[in-house]
Amino acid sequence: MHALPQLIASTILLGSIYALIAVGLTLIFGVMRVVNFAHGEFLMLGMYLAFWAFTLVGFDPYLTLVVSLPLWFAVGWASYRLVMGPIVHASHNVQVFTTVGFSIALQNLALVLWTADARFVRTDYYAVVVRIANAAFNVAQVVAFGLAVALTAGLFAFMRWSYTGKVMRATAQDRHASALMGIDTDRVYALTWTVGIACVGLAGVLLAPIYPVYPTAGLQFVLIAYVAVVLGGLGDMAGALIAAVLVATVEVVGSYVIGTAWKEVLYLLLFIAILVVRPAGLFGQRGAEALGM
Amino acid sequence: MSGLALAAVFFAGAGLAPLVVRDAFFLDSLVLILIWGTCAAAWNVAGGYAGQISLGHSAFFGLGAYAAALLTTRWALSPWLGLAVGALVATAIGLVIGYLSNRLRGPYFVLATIAFSQVLLIVGSRWRAVTAGSEGIPVPFRPGFWTLGIADKRVWVWIVLGLAVLAYLVGLYLERARRGYQLMAVREDEDAALSLGVPARRLKVAAICVSAAFTAACGALWAQYVGFVDPFYVFSVDLSVRFALATIIGGLGTALGPFLGAALVTTVETYLRAQFGGIGAGLVGIYLIIYGCALIVMVRWLPQGLVGWIAERVRRRAVPGAAS
Amino acid sequence: MRNTKWAVVVGLVALALGAGAAQGQQLSGEYKIGVLEPLTGNLAVQGKLHLEGYEIMRDLINSRFGGVMGKKLVFATGDAVDPTAAASEATRLAAREGVKIITGTFSSTLCGAASEAAARQNVIYWETSCVDPRLTRRNLKNVFRTEIDGTGFGWYNIEFIAKHLAHRLGKKTNELKIAYLSEDSSYGQSVTESARQRAKQEFGMQEVAAEYYTFTTNDLTPVILKLKNANPDILHHIARDQDAILFWRQAREQDFQVKAVVHAGATGYGNPGFGKAFGNDANGPFALLEPGPGLIIEKFRPDGQRVERAFREAVKAKTGSDVLAGGHQLAGGGLWILKLALDAAKTDDLDRFRAAVMSLDLPVGSAVNGWGVKFDETGQNSNARVQHYMLQWQNGSLVTVWPEEFTTNRAKWIPLGPWDQRK
Repeated sequence: MHALPQLIASTILLGSIYALIAVGLTLIFGVMRVVNFAHGEFLMLGMYLAFWAFTLVGFDPYLTLVVSLPLWFAVGWASYRLVMGPIVHASHNVQVFTTVGFSIALQNLALVLWTADARFVRTDYYAVVVRIANAAFNVAQVVAFGLAVALTAGLFAFMRWSYTGKVMRATAQDRHASALMGIDTDRVYALTWTVGIACVGLAGVLLAPIYPVYPTAGLQFVLIAYVAVVLGGLGDMAGALIAAVLVATVEVVGSYVIGTAWKEVLYLLLFIAILVVRPAGLFGQRGAEALGM
Repeated sequence: MSGLALAAVFFAGAGLAPLVVRDAFFLDSLVLILIWGTCAAAWNVAGGYAGQISLGHSAFFGLGAYAAALLTTRWALSPWLGLAVGALVATAIGLVIGYLSNRLRGPYFVLATIAFSQVLLIVGSRWRAVTAGSEGIPVPFRPGFWTLGIADKRVWVWIVLGLAVLAYLVGLYLERARRGYQLMAVREDEDAALSLGVPARRLKVAAICVSAAFTAACGALWAQYVGFVDPFYVFSVDLSVRFALATIIGGLGTALGPFLGAALVTTVETYLRAQFGGIGAGLVGIYLIIYGCALIVMVRWLPQGLVGWIAERVRRRAVPGAAS
Repeated sequence: MRNTKWAVVVGLVALALGAGAAQGQQLSGEYKIGVLEPLTGNLAVQGKLHLEGYEIMRDLINSRFGGVMGKKLVFATGDAVDPTAAASEATRLAAREGVKIITGTFSSTLCGAASEAAARQNVIYWETSCVDPRLTRRNLKNVFRTEIDGTGFGWYNIEFIAKHLAHRLGKKTNELKIAYLSEDSSYGQSVTESARQRAKQEFGMQEVAAEYYTFTTNDLTPVILKLKNANPDILHHIARDQDAILFWRQAREQDFQVKAVVHAGATGYGNPGFGKAFGNDANGPFALLEPGPGLIIEKFRPDGQRVERAFREAVKAKTGSDVLAGGHQLAGGGLWILKLALDAAKTDDLDRFRAAVMSLDLPVGSAVNGWGVKFDETGQNSNARVQHYMLQWQNGSLVTVWPEEFTTNRAKWIPLGPWDQRK
């Protein structure tokens, strides 16, 4: 039982990392109804950005975080105009395969440019831990946790109380009615995509001091992020955060009690169970899943 | 009309080619085109005709591959039996997926199918006692027809061609028969179809089961052909994407589309790999970037796939001056 | 200005003459073999290193060792990205490129498919790296492997632990508490299981934990907690690259104390990337590999010394590094033995080639990496001849520490002290 504090610490820290990724994903999935298979690749690009900024220019990842914000908005906007925009109203499979193709192209672009070697951003503080009651909290992960909460809160507030947020929610609910109300749905989608990509790109920068960086680094996070998104309910920020922590709990506890070999099965079965029992997620609209919404 | 003619040319060509061409690599590519084509056609039954887009079809493929490999290695039974067992098990799993499809639509269903195939992957790679775990199963080559130990690639072409033609005929049936129209009605608007008395739920489940059985059969044949079953490959999402991709490029919801798509994808892939893979330790991965971009482009500018494009050309020529 | 121009001209002429001289023996004609490696996908890191090793050795063979059967050795390469591609590319290399020998393929998941396809085409399959023990047990007459298999890795690891670490820790082998941690792919499973078996059956070591994980895992803290509870003396950890980095960081955070960490193979702790990631913080763990810095080449036999020196120079010239990557050594070592076999057989006809391979009998120290050669009838080069070495991370790079008679370095930090005191 003296492992309990550490298990709790790991759950919270791991969960916040999943939340960072899930928040952007739930925004895109919730408003645009697009399954973005390339989400993990933007995470990977964020990690590489932090790595190269650190190695070539000596920027600490947190500095890169602040400095790169406009870059991410540009990347999001550009990728929307070039790739996503034209297919946002296309059929479901077109969207799926566009993002799948995007994902393959980006992974291999990274492979060609930077090789498959696993890199690591070894900041001076990479091994610094805060010890509270038998539990070790890695400093970089604590920062990620804080930012995840702040980001979720910020986006939640934005969606709930700002005018643009209301516009986005309206578009999510009914695209045609929104257009009839004079909303430029194309701009809404562009903004949604950009914000979502910026979130995940910045998450990548935050993850660089914690995880090794390699071209397929996004894959291991993306499926889990989807589990969190569905569990929390499409488009629900707070839901995504809570669900991310829940998934992390299943992972950490499952690893400890049953064995690390089976932890993926646990959260995948959880996922399927949610889909069978309550597909709209913990906080989503009942019946949304039957309408494909 | 021209669809049937084109199909006849395609299958007859595939059947006659081994008589003319001896090159093992050409025949190998032909076998792969037919295997992937059949998998794509099977996927098309669920995804194209019934509208149930799944990215977890590798679950069925892997089941078929493991069934064949396990029956051969553990109980020294014929892989043909393995094929039958695999198809049966896959059909049973298909019932489960079918149930899910009746509760979930769109992106939810896609994610559920992915999760399912990944669960099977993990089980396959951890259950050392039964499946030899991550090390996979090397499939022994015992010469003979009943052991599917066939060195002559020409015979392989004909075996796989048989299955491919069968899959094509299923597609053709769905395009012509009443059941097929009902299924497509379900795809277009399930509620409207229900209101017309179409047994939508049962049809969807049936479509998925047929799809599963054919995919598993392909998996079994593949296992015997390549000779090694690796759980991380046979249950991978990449494989599921491949089936769907071939169909989409060829023409979703058409009988010949999956085969044309598989032919194009396999050929391009093999060509690009031979060209760029051989550059040495330097520029590897370039052909996959091209592949990814081609996907984006194809899906955007040719959404009806090759078959749609060909049909369009034929129609334009048939009626000159007609608005396209 | 004029002087510079003249200097350039003279320099160019000297270069041309020098290049001509270095050409050395005249090689008549070319001999092509197929090289099949995973050049894309998750296995690309090692695949690329292997290919590079092959290329360096090929150029060396052509420029200084008389080519292969008197001819210039050339390659046709293939990308074995997955089992289907491996089989397909093997078929292509045989049918279209007309090679009679295919070498590769590094990964256990690929070598099975590639060797089957090679068998169908009646070409020789010369495996230099994959560790699946079943590769050579399928009664295929065309399959040969120069490197030891997974059981060999496990065998050597336990050999090191039992014969070297045990007495330095002041314990008898049956008093040692050993925990097994491994990534769960084919590689990890085959090495770990064979290590577990030998440790228990031959030495009676006490197994206190055995856990597998997926190498793309996001978190290893729960496992580390369990390991802390089990309190092992030795951690036998088979890792790939990403998970080694993650584990090492998290183990340090959790202050996981163990007396020694032992790994096998060119990934994870055996990959130079581990040192690049951690610098001096990488110090401590052992990795079973081909010989690294500190190797006393003079202990090799004369022919072994000659080729080992030449190979090391060539790798340094190409990569700028004194440290050879495991991939280079396996590929280069395997290709060298292929040259020996072909020069002995003077043909690639399967029966005569096989006879020549079986007749090769060279003691330890005769070839690259200090290997000897003695194939058994399954086509496997024997464990005892394929000498493996234990390397340790010291000062941020890998150095050879065992067998002690072959190296100037000695293993340090037995037991491993606190995390920040391994300097």
